[in-house]
Amino acid sequence: MDPQLMKIAMGGLAVLGVIGLVFGIGLALAAQKFHVEVDPKVEAVKEVLAGAQ
Amino acid sequence: MKRIIVIFGVILSLLIFSTPLYASANRFIVKSSFYQKDKIRIVFAAPVDRKLAEDRSNYYVYERTDPDIPLPIKDISLSKDGRVLTITFKEELNQHSPHIVVIKKIVSAGRNLGIASIMVRKSYAGFLMSILIGAMLVHNFVFTKYLGLCVFFGTTRRKATAIGMGITFTIVMVCSAMISWFLYNYVLKPLNLQFFQVVMFIGIVSLIVQAVDIILRKINPYLFKAFGIYLMLVLANCVILAVPLLIVVNGYNGIEAFVFSLGAGLGYFLALFLMSSVREKLELANVPPSYQGLSIAFITAGLFGLAFMGFSGMSIF
Repeated sequence: MDPQLMKIAMGGLAVLGVIGLVFGIGLALAAQKFHVEVDPKVEAVKEVLAGAQ
Repeated sequence: MKRIIVIFGVILSLLIFSTPLYASANRFIVKSSFYQKDKIRIVFAAPVDRKLAEDRSNYYVYERTDPDIPLPIKDISLSKDGRVLTITFKEELNQHSPHIVVIKKIVSAGRNLGIASIMVRKSYAGFLMSILIGAMLVHNFVFTKYLGLCVFFGTTRRKATAIGMGITFTIVMVCSAMISWFLYNYVLKPLNLQFFQVVMFIGIVSLIVQAVDIILRKINPYLFKAFGIYLMLVLANCVILAVPLLIVVNGYNGIEAFVFSLGAGLGYFLALFLMSSVREKLELANVPPSYQGLSIAFITAGLFGLAFMGFSGMSIF
């Protein structure tokens, strides 16, 4: 394969990877900062109850 | 709600009124404008060298969207005081799209002032307004481009859901379009990675949706209860991907991209609102059994599409 093309493709992979990583870390930080306590009992009760909706 | 609208209006008006700062290309050029149907007029700050100014090879004029197609020049004339230059073209100009005039050399009073690249367009506020109205009504994404129809039919059964969806959609649309525009122009373009645009734009949309989901859940649980369910629907909407792609195709700058995405969002909001109003009335109407439900909704949407065709080709500014 043309080494020039390979270079562009590799660069693209690296760039997308870095952007994805940055976004991921940002989201993780946001999730930590804006953490909401969810009562596990609510989920448990919902599991038991009937209803498809 | 009122406060949000006021803040939004202030930001928008600041953006519009600060545009002359962006538009000034060369200080020596005082004014540039379209004149009649096939002329461009440029006013200089001081008299320029007549021989060079009337040389046809000194100019290169093109539409901003096609930089490699030069527009043929018929005649160039400089006024008696040497300050007003009129370029006449062989064909009529499409004055809705911005034109770039490149003057390769300006000489005034024996001094070389170098190259100048001037953007000529109709009044910028009017141009922005035409983008807004264009995205909202003339090229409405639902009724003339037929995009985002699944969500459109899914959420228009009741007015309340339609409004919730419309507001959520507009917010997510503006955020994601701005981030997409920024990353496309400052990351993908310099690295020659334009072919990654679709992957990138989808990633950005999901990022925004996820972020709004997380933040809204904490900051305003009531709002989250009202709008949270629509966030996942926004993710599955194709308008939200079409807008960044169209911004790239049209070569908009930051402000224009903002206005375009806002117009697209408001247009979608408008479409949802109109449709839901009609469908609420249809619940009470006496619809024949074979047309009930989604089929009458399709017919209604078709009629709306016909009505919106009335806007096609309209230019206000």
